[in-house]
This record gives sequence, C-alpha cells and structure tokens, in this order.
Amino acid sequence: MLEVENLCIDLGDFHLRDISLSVEEGDYLTIIGPTGAGKSVLLEAIAGFYPLLSGRIFLDSRDVTHEPPERRGISIVYQDYMLFPHMTVFDNIAFGLRKKDLPKEEIKREVKYIARELRVDHILHRKPGTLSGGEQQRVALARALVIKPKILLMDEPFSALDDKTREKLRSLVREVIAEHGTTVIHVTHDFEDVFVLAKHVAVMREGRIIQFGTPEEVFSRPQCEFVADFTGTNLLRGKIVGERNNLTMVKVGSTILYTVDKAEGNVTLSLRPEEVILASEPSKCSAQNVVPVTVESMERRGYHVWLSLSSDDFSFRAVVTPNTVVLLGIKPRRRFYALFKASTLKVIK
Amino acid sequence: MGRLSFKALTIFMAFLFTLLLFIAIATLFFVPSPSEILEALKSEEMAYSLRLSLITASTATLLVILVGIPVGYALSRFDFPGRSAVKSILDLPMAFPELVLGLALLLFFGKTYVGGVLSDIGLKIVFTKLGIIVAQFFTAFPYTVRIIYAAFEEVNLRYELVARSLGYSEFETFMKVTLPMAKNGLFASTIISFARSMGAFGAVLILAGGSYMDTEILPITLYLNISYGNIGMAISSGIVLVIVSFLAILLFERLEGGGHNVVRG
Ligand SMILES: Nc1ncnc2c1ncn2[C@@H]1O[C@H](COP(=O)(O)OP(=O)(O)OP(=O)(O)O)[C@@H](O)[C@H]1O
Ligand SMILES: [Mg+2]
Repeated sequence: MLEVENLCIDLGDFHLRDISLSVEEGDYLTIIGPTGAGKSVLLEAIAGFYPLLSGRIFLDSRDVTHEPPERRGISIVYQDYMLFPHMTVFDNIAFGLRKKDLPKEEIKREVKYIARELRVDHILHRKPGTLSGGEQQRVALARALVIKPKILLMDEPFSALDDKTREKLRSLVREVIAEHGTTVIHVTHDFEDVFVLAKHVAVMREGRIIQFGTPEEVFSRPQCEFVADFTGTNLLRGKIVGERNNLTMVKVGSTILYTVDKAEGNVTLSLRPEEVILASEPSKCSAQNVVPVTVESMERRGYHVWLSLSSDDFSFRAVVTPNTVVLLGIKPRRRFYALFKASTLKVIK
Repeated sequence: MGRLSFKALTIFMAFLFTLLLFIAIATLFFVPSPSEILEALKSEEMAYSLRLSLITASTATLLVILVGIPVGYALSRFDFPGRSAVKSILDLPMAFPELVLGLALLLFFGKTYVGGVLSDIGLKIVFTKLGIIVAQFFTAFPYTVRIIYAAFEEVNLRYELVARSLGYSEFETFMKVTLPMAKNGLFASTIISFARSMGAFGAVLILAGGSYMDTEILPITLYLNISYGNIGMAISSGIVLVIVSFLAILLFERLEGGGHNVVRG
C-alpha cells in the first residue's frame, strides 16, 4: 500500500503542489491530465528520482521518503520501453533478479515464467533493437514485473503502439496484473485505459490533483468545469422544479429533464456523451429524457464519432459509432431526438 | 536539376579536397630517398623517440580517460553550482595556443608553491619525462572530455532510472548500464586522446624541454632534426607519426562503425 502525504516538489519552473494520494494493495490507479500537468514528475517522485521539498511517502506503512529508488521495490515502465540495448531480452528481464542473489536456476525459471505469460518466450535470445514496439513493451513489462514490485508504475505504456497492438496489450496487461495482484499507477492520455483497467483515477492539472475517485465518479460527476471539459462530460445548468414518479424534475431553459438524484434550487448537471442515444422518432422507450436536437457538427476520433448537438435551450455532445451515423443518416443540420435515462443525468452541485 | 548539380558540386568538392590532402601526405613518403628513410628509421634516436612517444601518450591517454569519465559524467548528469564555469574553463585550453598552455604549465609547476611541493615529494615535472605526460594530458583533456560528455548525453537518463528501480545503486547502474551504453563514445575519446597526445608539441617543448635523447618524443625529433638540417631524419619521424596516428584513426573508424546520414543514389 502506498501513501503520499502533502508531497511538494520544486523543479524551478515547475512545482508539484501538495499531492496526497492513497493507493491500496491491488489497486489500479490511472492518472490523467493535460500535457505538462506533472504526471511523469509525480510518478518519478514516487519512484524516488526527485528530491522532495516537503511531504512524505509511505510504502506498506514504512516511511520511504528518504530511501533511494533501489530500496523501494517500485518498478517503472516507460512509453519508449527503455530496454538496455547491450543486453539480450533474457538479460533485460533477468536484470532485477540478478541483484537478488538468487540461484541461477531460479532466475532462469522466473524469467521463463514471466516471459511465457507476456508471450515473449520465443525471443529471449534476441537484442531489443530487433523487436517490434509491442514486443519491446511486453519485455519491459516482464522486466518490471519479474521482481514482484510493491508498485508498478507505467508512464503512457501504450502510447507508442498502433491501435491494434495497444488493444491487445491492454487486455494482456489486465490479465497479467490481475493474475499477480500487482498494485499499479498508470499515467495515460487514453480514456480507454481508464475504463478498461482502472479502479481509481486521478486528474492532474498544473502540478495538483484536482479530482480523485472511481472512473464512474470522475467521469460522470466532474467537480469542476476543467475536469468536465477534459473528460468530455456535458455540464448543464438548471433549477429543480419538483418531483414526479419518484424522479426529480429539473428545468434547463424551458426544457424539463428528469434525474434520479435528489436536490433543490439551482443545480449543475452532468451527462456523459456516450449515454446519449439518437433516434429519428421520439419512440417509447425506457429513457425518460427525450430532447429534440439539431446536429451542429461531427468529428471522427478513433473508433467513435463525436457529435455536437443543440436543442432550443442548451448544447451538448454525444458519441456514436460510425455504424449509427450510417444507419440514421446523421449529417450536420439534420434533426433527431436525443434520448437518455434519468439515471445518467447526475446532479453534481 | 538544381538539386542534382548541387549534389554533384558537393561531391566534387569532397573529392578535390581529399585529393589535395592525399597528395600532400603522399609527398612525405615519396620525396626523400627510401634508403635515407630506412637509415633514419633504424637509428637509435628514432627508436628512443618512438618508444618514449608511445609510452607517454599511452600513459597520458589512460590518465585522461580515468579523469575524463567522472568529469564528463558529472557535467552530463548533475546540476551543480558552478557547472557552466567548470565547462567553460575545461574548454579553455582548446582556444589556447599550445605554446601558451605549455608556458602556463611551466610557471605553475616551476614557480608556484604547489609545483614546489610536488617536486619535493619526487614528482619533478619541469624538463622531465613526467612533464611530457603532464603536457600531453592537458593538451588532450579538453577534447576528450567533450567526447565523453557527448557520449553520456546520448544515454537517456531514464535507462538509469529503470536500473535504479530494479535495485541497482548509482555506482552499479553506472557500471552496468551507462558505461556499456556509452562504449562507442568512450572508444572514440580514447583514440582522440591518444592521437592528441602523440601529436602534442608546443606544450611538451616548453614544459618538458626538447632535449636530445631525453625528453625527445616524435614531434620533438622532427623539430630538432629540421633545425639541424637532417631532413631524412625529420621526414622519417613525420612518417612514423602519421602511421601511428593513421592506425589510431583506422581503429577509431572500425570501432565507431556505421551511422552515416547518406542519401543514396
Ligand atoms: N527534471 C526537470 N527539471 C525541471 N523541470 C522539469 C523536469 N522534468 C519535468 N519538468 C517540467 O515539469 C512539467 C511537468 O512535466 P511532466 O513530464 O510531469 O508532464 P506530464 O504531465 O507527464 O506531461 P505529458 O502528458 O506531456 O507527458 C513540465 O513543464 C516539464 O517541463
Ligand atoms: Mg509525461
């Protein structure tokens, strides 16, 4: 278990300010935030590479604030692999074990075991320079995991890989991490990592953690505009006007929307773009909220299409698949109905 | 079209200049008569000078590398007060004429308290063979440190961080990761250091004095014999110098291997 208490770091032009974190054993924490927010600096500070201005770091209740990195038992995986080019894959993976005075046979066995798990057992004799990106990253993971670290740190481990490889490696990582029960802190720019892998997520901005919670909490209940904007969550402002069938009625402009949350007075509501369904007809379905909208613009990002929608009273964004675009004939200026359940519209303030 | 003739021009320049250089070097070998050279090569003076050159230059190189590695590493990895001052002062001797460097060393070891103390404990540097090594050391050091520094800069700090996180101390990381990864640059710096030491003249002349069959290294042999009018002897020492340097450079190219930016075709 890792505890970071009021950590501050001064790097001249950049400061980490008052970071507190608690990561339970077996937890999987992702850190997201814009570039330059200090995510990498935070990871490397946890590993012990930066002198602290103030604050303390505990590992399994032991104060490691002044321990050098080699005595922390925290391993790290970088975006660009950092495999030692002068060693074979085998020697790279065995590197950490060799420091532990284990018998040769045991080192061999452990390397082979982890190599098989990460599917690099067929390339153990090769030099890293001859491997593909995906292979290199699997070797880097094997090298980090084989020492059974108390914490595994990963700094954008999949960023340098193509979509397919990333997808595969992500599910492999999920398997292996679950198998080993490793505690992980993973910096990423890819929300897919958050949804697929994370138990918790921290949002960083300008050297601070501005929100911490489960992915569900952070993405559907952003605590500030910045997090909402960064995570792509829609924010709506309205006024609670009453109750019907156990649902709370909120007036946004002149539109009445329904939420399951209880509140009073003026409120801010959040709505995840992927919860919005588009339909050509205001059909009868389980979604309590039905809003006529016009498509303002659309933009393809990876596997998804992001739509900017506007109703008479407010604008918001929705995500659909390219398939839906074709099926419904979605085009700018066309009119549709946006449907979303009362349970997806959350009161956050 | 423009690009093609530009390419042709650059290649032409490369050949033209190389040809000039080659002819100049070749003259060295063909102007004197072979018998004259053979005689000179077999002389006692030449044997003495070559041996002393090899010994002093190798020793100087060893010292330069031993001191240069920690200095280059400190400059590349650590941010310490006075770092940029250290860097500029280390570079100074490159801008100095060698003779002035020699003069500075002569005054330092001959006229200061430090020089006196060194001399009292048996390290006599002025006008001695030890002085040759010292002069060669200071001549070669700035160039060598630059290359060592660049070699360490090439090694991404994060390799070291990974090694540290896997349980290796700073020193172990340096020995197992940084040093092997900077290997090529370190080889290169060794060769450069050796070549600079072999060819050091001005500083050696002033600090060690160029005395016949005593502090006489190859460049001094060349200089002394030119002054006495022994052209054959002078040319022979030049040839030997060139051959030794050439062998050093050949080795350097072999070790460095590959890595050119070439547009083919
Ligand atoms: N060793 C250092 N010395 C001084 N400043 C540094 C150092 N390392 C990083 N910084 C600065 O700290 C800030 C945060 O850097 P960091 O690499 O942590 O950002 P990040 O959140 O990881 O960004 P990205 O998403 O682009 O990787 C940057 O402005 C960077 O220039
Ligand atoms: Mg980063």
